[in-house]
Amino acid sequence: MTVSTTHTTTYLYSDPVSICHTEVHLAPRDCPHQRLISHELSVTPNPAFRVSRRDYFGNEITIFTIQEPHQTLNITARNEIEIRSGPEYSFPPAAAQTPPWEQIPREIRTGKTDEIFRASEFLYRSPFVRPSPDCEAYGRQSFTPGRPLLEASLDLCHRIFSDFRYDPRATTISTPVAEVLAKRSGVCQDFAHLMICCARSLGLPARYISGYLRSNARTLGGEASHAWCAIFCPELGWLEFDPTNDVMPAGNHVTIAHGRDYSDVAPVVGVALGGGEQLINVSVSVLPPAAN
Amino acid sequence: MNPLLNTTAAELRTPWTYQPMSGFYDEMMGGVGVVRPHWQTLVESLNQAGPSGLAERWREGQRLIRDNGVTYNVYGDPKKTERPWPLDPVPFLLEGSEWAKIESAIAQRATLLNQVLQDLYGPQELLKKNRLPAELIFGHPGFLRPCSGITPPGNIWLHSYSADIARSPDGNWWVLADRTQAPSGSGYALENRLVSLRVLPDVFRAGNVQRLAPFFQAYKDMLRSLAPRRENPRIVLLTPGPFNETWFEHAFLARYLGFSLVEGGDLTVRNNNVYLKTLGGLLPVDVIVRRQDDTFCDPLELRGDSMLGIPGLVQAVWSGNVAVANALGTGLAESSGLAAFLPALSRHILGEELRMPNIATWWCGESAARQQVENRLGHLVLKPASPALDFEPIFGARLGPKQRALLIEKIKANPAAYVAQEQVSLSTVPVAQDGRLDPRHLVLRVFAVASGGGYAVMPGGLTRISTSLDSLVVSMQHGGGSKDSWVLAETPAPPFSLLRRSAGPLPVSRATFDLPSRVADNLYWLGRYLERFETAVRTVRVVLPRLHQEADAPAAAALQACRNILAEGGWVKAGDERLNEDEIFSTILDAELKTSLRASCRDIRRLARLLRDRISADAWRVLSQLEKQFTGELPPEPLRNSWSRELLDNAVMSLSAFSGLATENMTRGHGWRFLDMGRRLERAMQTVLLVRHGLGFVNEPGEAELHTVLEIADSSMTYRSRYLNSMQADLALDLLLLDEGNPRSAAYQLSKLRKHVDRLPESHPPSGTPREARLALSLLTSVQLAETRDLVRLPWLNEFTGRLEGDLALLSDTISRVYFIHQLPLQART
Repeated sequence: MTVSTTHTTTYLYSDPVSICHTEVHLAPRDCPHQRLISHELSVTPNPAFRVSRRDYFGNEITIFTIQEPHQTLNITARNEIEIRSGPEYSFPPAAAQTPPWEQIPREIRTGKTDEIFRASEFLYRSPFVRPSPDCEAYGRQSFTPGRPLLEASLDLCHRIFSDFRYDPRATTISTPVAEVLAKRSGVCQDFAHLMICCARSLGLPARYISGYLRSNARTLGGEASHAWCAIFCPELGWLEFDPTNDVMPAGNHVTIAHGRDYSDVAPVVGVALGGGEQLINVSVSVLPPAAN
Repeated sequence: MNPLLNTTAAELRTPWTYQPMSGFYDEMMGGVGVVRPHWQTLVESLNQAGPSGLAERWREGQRLIRDNGVTYNVYGDPKKTERPWPLDPVPFLLEGSEWAKIESAIAQRATLLNQVLQDLYGPQELLKKNRLPAELIFGHPGFLRPCSGITPPGNIWLHSYSADIARSPDGNWWVLADRTQAPSGSGYALENRLVSLRVLPDVFRAGNVQRLAPFFQAYKDMLRSLAPRRENPRIVLLTPGPFNETWFEHAFLARYLGFSLVEGGDLTVRNNNVYLKTLGGLLPVDVIVRRQDDTFCDPLELRGDSMLGIPGLVQAVWSGNVAVANALGTGLAESSGLAAFLPALSRHILGEELRMPNIATWWCGESAARQQVENRLGHLVLKPASPALDFEPIFGARLGPKQRALLIEKIKANPAAYVAQEQVSLSTVPVAQDGRLDPRHLVLRVFAVASGGGYAVMPGGLTRISTSLDSLVVSMQHGGGSKDSWVLAETPAPPFSLLRRSAGPLPVSRATFDLPSRVADNLYWLGRYLERFETAVRTVRVVLPRLHQEADAPAAAALQACRNILAEGGWVKAGDERLNEDEIFSTILDAELKTSLRASCRDIRRLARLLRDRISADAWRVLSQLEKQFTGELPPEPLRNSWSRELLDNAVMSLSAFSGLATENMTRGHGWRFLDMGRRLERAMQTVLLVRHGLGFVNEPGEAELHTVLEIADSSMTYRSRYLNSMQADLALDLLLLDEGNPRSAAYQLSKLRKHVDRLPESHPPSGTPREARLALSLLTSVQLAETRDLVRLPWLNEFTGRLEGDLALLSDTISRVYFIHQLPLQART
């Protein structure tokens, strides 16, 4: 199946910005279950300098500089992506047959493969994820001794979905996980960070995924960028979980980038000189192309 | 034969006594009463001089430190952040053969750390093969992922390196800590050398002390070689600013090495290149020597928590358009956790043993190591493994059983954050104080720079000494002192000076356009502050002798005129109460008042401090002395009045000395122009203020007021020489406002200002005349067209001076807007 996405970010400033530098993560990366067909990034005003490269995690980033005074900045990314479905792409394996979760930290320590080495990157604290005794305690209610990894992970995902209220006003980008845990509310990004934090507190590699969700009446987080997470298991690779919707992504999620947490893959970040007050407007649409 | 290395026995004779502590290695004494051979010449010289002789020589050293403004900033000291640099007159001596071993060990360690960094920011084989635990790197906030994959010029990451080393009781040297990010101290070492050369020139020559200049030349050559543009590259030294602990060193090194001293806000990235914002426009930058932590260097990609730094820098580095030294990301190698693995890494990478061992180090992230640490806690010092968890070193020996148990719990909760090191018994060295020599602990900071494929090591380094014998921490932050470090050679060092050599013939350059806008701003305000201060000093100087006079009408009128003038400047309260002594003394000396003369001196010097690399050492000395004069205590009556008059006379002398130095010695570039514009503009404003507020517009000004204002404006003599004793308001006003021949008149300032404005870089745009030029011209024309006889028509004079006042303020605003406005706030966009 092919989907097309449009992600528009508009900044309005009260005063002119004389120069701004921006870094975006807006091009979907190739994954086993998706292939990028086309990516187009348009920026107005036209950047004087623009370059793309891979970041540390293999995501494509584009960096650009606008050097003319402006009060409006528009960044639009249009993508066409092939989403593969079929038995070989659609997990999950039988949950009960996955290895006991305690086996994973041991395998990570002794493992020699490049994949295991790469996964060990996602075991430690990162700017937004600070493993803590509170997160560990919350996680342990699902990760009981000897429980199969996938079963425990699905249970944690489900508990976050049911214990926490989806409330865009409850948190901001910089709300720490500890506060989300205390308030029992947040948005997709907070829930992903929380689940990652629980997993890392237990010694499991966990990473953050940013992307889009084909929305329908039953799902949350479709009107903007979406975020979910993945937990690593040497036998099965990365298992993805969307605690905002209590599902394992299959078919409706478009991956843009992955990293340790939001700070590694924020869709648009920038530094502007001047500008006064700023107003931001973001819109995302995910549609099957008209031809489909 | 080097006389410092002779073998005849010498002993330290009275009046010096020196008692090394048992249990420590003493650098000077090899046993009871036995001076080590390489100290003997120095000891003889000390014997000869005696405490009083040394003290006398040392006064010269202290004067140099004070006058050169050598300081060190101490964080968290609310009263003053700036401390004079503590230097001990007795140098620390090292024998050439011993030094050679240290030198090769430091070069080896720098080479090793550079290769470790190459790997960690490249293939990461050390982590994949488990030669370094991944957690130590992946969990370290100093591991900058955006820099991974960059290949810096020559694959050099570690352009400069320093290590703290110490000697244990058995005489061996150990490495205590590595500095890999932006090592500080080499500038202080150089400054120490300049001082000790003056204090002990004879011993220095006799000892064939190895010179420091070749080291700095190697550093300069290496930095030039990094530049993408080979011809005459622009190298800047990036400082976090005047509040940084080693700010003095940044300014000092920038000047010594001939680099521009810049802050993050002075640089900008356009079209993926780094530029320096100057009055003459944007100038390309090739190499950035950074003294700022790497996470603060680019708010776009490195995302420190602040907006400091240069957005877009990382990408410019990626593209090879600018080189940063040390490379971004090198802070990682400072991690004390890494030290635990260096012996094995040295064998693996270099195929050789470390030539100087680490002090035994355990990273608690490994469970076997943590067990050892728990068992031996009483002998260990606990330190943070990375800046993620920052704390002061904890000495296991000082903890009670409960505290130890508590610490063990804390380590268990977060083992990867802790590193334990064996506690060393640091060697001792004599320190001169109160006419005695006392033993103090010593840590030597040694410096290396990448050079010719390897590393060049500075002969000597910065010796730091503890405050007391039982202090376990040697740190400038904790109030320790320092020493010059001499490496003695068999043969005299060839003469060498950084100032004599240059890489090739340089083109003659007369333009000085590369003045950062921030510096122009500061110079302009320095000029204005000085002039404002001068008017106040001159006014108070007129007040003082009149305070004791009979309260006749002219004296009262003069004092009232002075009150009005001072009140307008905010120095005293407005009103018609007669000025009294207490009020005036507090205006002069009260350090708590924001607007006392004393506080202004402080402000002036503070501003001058920001310009340390721009104003001459002499000019700096003048301002330091000026501030010092005002820190005195008011003597008791009846001396107060005359004491104050002398103080103000001296202040006027200092101010003249400063303007003399500026006029005679500053290159007529934009730096001088902005300083002088500030002065001219402020002096014109002050003269108008004198007329408007000293004379008043209620009645025809009386003789007393006219005399007073002429005296403050330093124009009495000119007036008398022209008009003898007949005081006429129109003539006096003409002299103050319209006479272009009087260097104190408003007209004179305006004529100078117009010339300055005409020569500013933006003065000749392709079309039209800029606003500041029109304003300057209109101001000058209005005084040129004014007629002397109109000056006594009070409403006209009021309107005329009012317009001058307003237009001068407007001119100042316009200049600020056009030339200083580059410093808009940066904001994050999320």
